[in-house]
Amino acid sequence: MTVSEPLTSGGPKTATGPPILELVGVTKRFGGLLAVNDVTFSVQKGAIISMIGPNGAGKTTAFNMVTGIYTPSGGDVRFNGQSIVGLPPHRIAKLGITRTFQNIRLFAYVTAVDNVMVGEHCKMRQNVFQSMFTTPGARREERAVENRAMDMLRGLGLERYADTYARNLPYGLQRRLEIARALASGPELLLLDEPAAGLNPQEKVELMGVIAQLREKGLTIFLIEHDMRVVMGISDRIVVLDHGEVIAEGLPVEVRNNARVIEAYLGTGAAGQSEPAPPAST
Amino acid sequence: MPDAEVAHADAPDIPAVPEDVPLPATASATAREESSAVFWALVVGGLVFVVAGWLLPWFVEQTANGIGFSPQDVVSSAPTGIGTVLVYVIGAAMVVLLAGVAYDAYCTLTRRGVPFRYSRTRAAVALVGAVGTVVVCVLVVSREEPLFGSLSPLATGSPDNAVWMTLTGFTVLTFVYGLRDWVSAHGQVAFAGIVFLIGALFPLIFGQSQSFIVWGASAAAIYTLLALGLNVVVGFAGLLDLGYAAFFAIGAYTCGSLSSSVHGLHFPFWIVLFIGLAVAALFGAALGAPTLRLRGDYLAIVTLGFGEIIPDAANNNLFGATGGPEGITGIDHPSIFGFNFGIDARPYFWALLVIIAVVILLLRNIQRSRLGRAWAAIREDEIAAAATGVNPVSTKLLAFAIGASVSGFAGAFFGAELGSVTPDSFQFAVSVTVLSTVVLGGIGNNTGVVAGGILVSFIIFWMLAHLQEWLGTFGNKFGLPTLGTIDYSRWVYIVYGAILVGIMLLRPAGLLPSRARKVELQSGTESESLAAVQGRA
Repeated sequence: MTVSEPLTSGGPKTATGPPILELVGVTKRFGGLLAVNDVTFSVQKGAIISMIGPNGAGKTTAFNMVTGIYTPSGGDVRFNGQSIVGLPPHRIAKLGITRTFQNIRLFAYVTAVDNVMVGEHCKMRQNVFQSMFTTPGARREERAVENRAMDMLRGLGLERYADTYARNLPYGLQRRLEIARALASGPELLLLDEPAAGLNPQEKVELMGVIAQLREKGLTIFLIEHDMRVVMGISDRIVVLDHGEVIAEGLPVEVRNNARVIEAYLGTGAAGQSEPAPPAST
Repeated sequence: MPDAEVAHADAPDIPAVPEDVPLPATASATAREESSAVFWALVVGGLVFVVAGWLLPWFVEQTANGIGFSPQDVVSSAPTGIGTVLVYVIGAAMVVLLAGVAYDAYCTLTRRGVPFRYSRTRAAVALVGAVGTVVVCVLVVSREEPLFGSLSPLATGSPDNAVWMTLTGFTVLTFVYGLRDWVSAHGQVAFAGIVFLIGALFPLIFGQSQSFIVWGASAAAIYTLLALGLNVVVGFAGLLDLGYAAFFAIGAYTCGSLSSSVHGLHFPFWIVLFIGLAVAALFGAALGAPTLRLRGDYLAIVTLGFGEIIPDAANNNLFGATGGPEGITGIDHPSIFGFNFGIDARPYFWALLVIIAVVILLLRNIQRSRLGRAWAAIREDEIAAAATGVNPVSTKLLAFAIGASVSGFAGAFFGAELGSVTPDSFQFAVSVTVLSTVVLGGIGNNTGVVAGGILVSFIIFWMLAHLQEWLGTFGNKFGLPTLGTIDYSRWVYIVYGAILVGIMLLRPAGLLPSRARKVELQSGTESESLAAVQGRA
């Protein structure tokens, strides 16, 4: 563990379930650059965990290792107790970890409803011959998947845009659609990479509502975010990364007052202040 | 969707966007535009048939078994019989239709006036023309020659290509103009219906011109089939493939080897066809495997290499199985229910037409299903697709395999039709032609690909091959014999290139672009992957 500050309060605020995701000494090297160094922490089932840190701290790299886009140079990533290191991204998605991206990566020239339907790809059973000849089973499955995708869009207030190409959607709705796509496969753990980036205050409030609702429905959410109002408002626990290392982990109030966190965000001089402002959003 | 009771467990619930927020262009709106493009394509196609039928005898030498009689013949001779009047009526109908289409085009281009204001009138005019042509056909068949006054002695027997072409054109125009609203709403169905109807009648319409039917069977149908297969790889999955002729070769050689005297194997064609398909699909997957990590230019170079290896291997008589430069000869002609196809092009053409229809239907089903969405996802963003649960490996391999299997069909027919397969038929130029067919027709849209397949094969394998003859005959009839003395064979590729450039300038997304591609060009920016398809990634 590289957590420098011992935790004062006893564990997370709400969720005390078993860890759904564990990172144990995870390291990622790009040539000589140590992007993520010996990171250890865990995400409790049913919790909302935020990962914060200055730009270049290795947050997205950590996400990429959890979702299989990068293979860790060392250490282990466990999902429900089972190691997922070395699995390809689609297998990890099927196991129950899906994500959104920092720069929205929707399927641009595909309609919104089809974007969501791609999310159900790994759950569908039809093979290529059944699709080719549109067997009754395949047709039923298509219809069920489309209905579920429409429900998902309805739930996220995107119903009117079902027939619109993803790239024609306004920016805020593209963020929502990406969440809808990630939810479509019915994941246990949802990773959100800066979901509030570029949203206006109204949209941020809506987003926080969405995240809170998802948690109520039993989903575990692990997000990277720079907007401290969002982070402090919804997180059960916060992990702080700087230069690829975990410098703090704990309840929002603990992290907010942690000297090393303030130093990482505001520089050495600011660490001595008694009542620091929350780190500025970027 | 009405089935709201299937509520998704994880769907959250937040307020919808207010109704007064304007919607961006939807896919169905784009589909309507696409249908209107199909309407125009059909109008132009119908007019080409009418005008070409009328003008044919000015360009094509009259022979006893070739082009004999056309309405234009009667007009150019002295107007004596009552039948001649009918021919003038047909001519007038043609002029009115041309004027109407020109007016519509003017309105559309300048955005002034109301196009189609008289669409009913125009449908009626087209109907008059079609009925007139039918009557003329009947008169010629029943040899009521006094009705026409003195006619050319060649105008005996069945009415010929020129008359049938004019009739077909008028029929298409009647249908398209009369049912304009329906055609505009159901563009793809209308296009498919008309193309396959004309296709089915094609060997009859051009019954006098054996070589044109041969063109239809061995060039138009084969290239359309190849383009449909390549469209799976390039259009649906976004993988640029420059070596597609290799799969064509594999299909042709496999089928040729299994049903010729070269190896003493004479399996029935219809079984061999599916073996060829399976072998081509296997090779498609085999080529796909090493290219899985490549995209855009890099993928293109590797496929290019594969496209060079296969014909070379065949040329070098690999394993003594391919017969070297002479290839495989004496391939059996297929037969069905005891009827042997022989060397007549018509049965091949009809069989290919059925296969093309089936292939289009099956590909459409795939495109609208799980796999089709996965292809689109991989094309648009491979990393996001993988993180969403799409297996990029199997999805890409299936694209290569399915694309290749279609060319296996084409190869089987190609060999059976010609009776021989040689390495020359599968050079790089074939891959490029098929790719340009796909791009020109409209990447990712099977309707456009069929239109492109017909157009490109017509230009390359018929128009350019007959340029000399056409202009020579035209020059002779109009006192310009020098037209026939120019050696056009030097010009064919300049003409071909100019036509390609012209079409791409006028319709940058292809003749009938896919919806996604259309949106892309309208929105001004391009996705990485489609830019990669164009080799600019």
